[in-house]
Amino acid sequence: MTHLKTGIYKIKQIFLAIVFFGVIIAVGQPFCAAKEVKLDYRLKWLFNTSVAGDIYADAKGFFAAKELKVNVKEGSPEKNAIKELELGYADFGVASADQVIRALSKGAKVVVIAQLFQVNPMQWIYRADKPEIKVPADLKGRNIGVTFGGNDETIMNTLLARAGLLKSEVKITGVRFDFTPFFKRKVEVWPVYRNSQGVILKTRLAKEGEDVLFFNPADFGIKFVANSVVTSQSMVEKNPDIVARFLTALLGAWEAAMAPENEAVCLEVVKRLDKGNSDEIRQKQLVVTRTLIKPADNIRIGTIDVDAWKQTEAIMLKEKQIKKAVFIEKHLILP
Amino acid sequence: MLFRRIYQFLIVYCVGILFLLMIKYAFSLSNYVIPGIGGIIEIAGQVAPTYIYDVFNTLSVTILGQLISIIMAFTVGIAGRKSSWIGSFIKVTAYNIQAYPIVALAPIIFILLGDGFLSRLLIASMICYFPLLLSVLGVMAAPVRDIEHFYIVTGRMRWQLEVKIRAFENLSKLVTVIAGSATLAMAGTIVAEFIAADAGIGYGIRIALYQSDLAKIFVALFLIGIVISIYQGMLETIGENIKSKWSISKGDMLL
Repeated sequence: MTHLKTGIYKIKQIFLAIVFFGVIIAVGQPFCAAKEVKLDYRLKWLFNTSVAGDIYADAKGFFAAKELKVNVKEGSPEKNAIKELELGYADFGVASADQVIRALSKGAKVVVIAQLFQVNPMQWIYRADKPEIKVPADLKGRNIGVTFGGNDETIMNTLLARAGLLKSEVKITGVRFDFTPFFKRKVEVWPVYRNSQGVILKTRLAKEGEDVLFFNPADFGIKFVANSVVTSQSMVEKNPDIVARFLTALLGAWEAAMAPENEAVCLEVVKRLDKGNSDEIRQKQLVVTRTLIKPADNIRIGTIDVDAWKQTEAIMLKEKQIKKAVFIEKHLILP
Repeated sequence: MLFRRIYQFLIVYCVGILFLLMIKYAFSLSNYVIPGIGGIIEIAGQVAPTYIYDVFNTLSVTILGQLISIIMAFTVGIAGRKSSWIGSFIKVTAYNIQAYPIVALAPIIFILLGDGFLSRLLIASMICYFPLLLSVLGVMAAPVRDIEHFYIVTGRMRWQLEVKIRAFENLSKLVTVIAGSATLAMAGTIVAEFIAADAGIGYGIRIALYQSDLAKIFVALFLIGIVISIYQGMLETIGENIKSKWSISKGDMLL
């Protein structure tokens, strides 16, 4: 009988303990959740190595460490981060400089808080058995691929103008994602994103015994800014703390992702989302991405190159992509 | 018929634009997200000459593509109307080809034909022909027993006569389907131009999208809508004329 009473007493104690902890957890949960801020972050492109830092920030808890719950959303050609900021579908996003400047020229209230690519990955690939392009004037007489309406067209136009070449002195061919004209040698110089398509093409042609070279407009003084992190003007004004936490977490993750000692971990987290490429391709892509995101040890990831932004705006003005100056430097949030 | 088509389109287009403008002003969206009416008019002034040429370029491919798809649909439909092995094989092949998404087939088409006129024509025909085929198969596979019986029992039935009887008895249905397929042919051509071509309004839309220029898209949509309304209205008018002529001749025959 005594044993039975003791048993019942113990069960009561356990039950009370469960209720007590249950109440603590239930009461405590809203307070914990209240601290965590939910954000949407729209990337510019599909999940692959060129967004390694963004994936790394999510996978390795950089956002969580800053009490942020960030939904990192894959981009695509149809998606536009700046429009999503305005429509409230995203809180932060990645956009190219031409997108930012064009949006500002049409009244969008967007600001740049970090510049991810220090070197524009938009470059041109050509076969090594063709004469090397040492100076822009070497483009004379070549069949050059450009995406009509894309920023590579703007860059090429600027390059040709600087080289003093008329459009009639080269052959410009409109291109898309299908590389067949390049493989068939119909188009000699083909625009690629150096760290993604460039790596794939180089590897593929190497297997056919062909070597390739890349033509980088930045080597000839054309600084056209690529992907940058953007947010709305109101976000910066109303929630500077969230912006600071987001940026610290994101850039910290990019630094970690680009560190050679973290390469294996970085490739592992990218692999989870990028199923379309082989391990070999992803590794090569990461090596090239590193040179574009952090070209030198003394360059801090995210550094906004104001001169490059001004030059991008000047190019767009000259190419009549925008009607009047937007004074881009006023929309760059420097640390 | 023609004018009704045009003003109906104008109503739909204006309602759509007004709806978007309401959203723009209700949520204070910038011209980057939804352009204002002034911006649309300004852009229309700039791009209209180019886009009008592009739309007619697309329309020329559309008409050719539709013509090819009509010929294809009638050929396959007539050949496949019998429940023979060949007939069922043709049907299955036709269904299977249609089941593949055109964006997956497009790269193969472009490798074989390049990214010019022929690719646009083929894709336009492929998108347009299947609904036509279904209708033609439906018409050609359904016997008109009252009339056909007479020719069968008198031993005068030939396949050409069978096809004529069935087409004649379902003329109204065939005309409606052919007129309706014009929109599909147009859509197919635009898709082809969007995926890979260096001409046509689909190509213009693609460039506008690269530049996130919605005003240009509105102008392009307006021109596409007007042109397709006129074309479809014309097809319907021709169809009505053919139907009334055939009805008269049918009446004469009965008399």
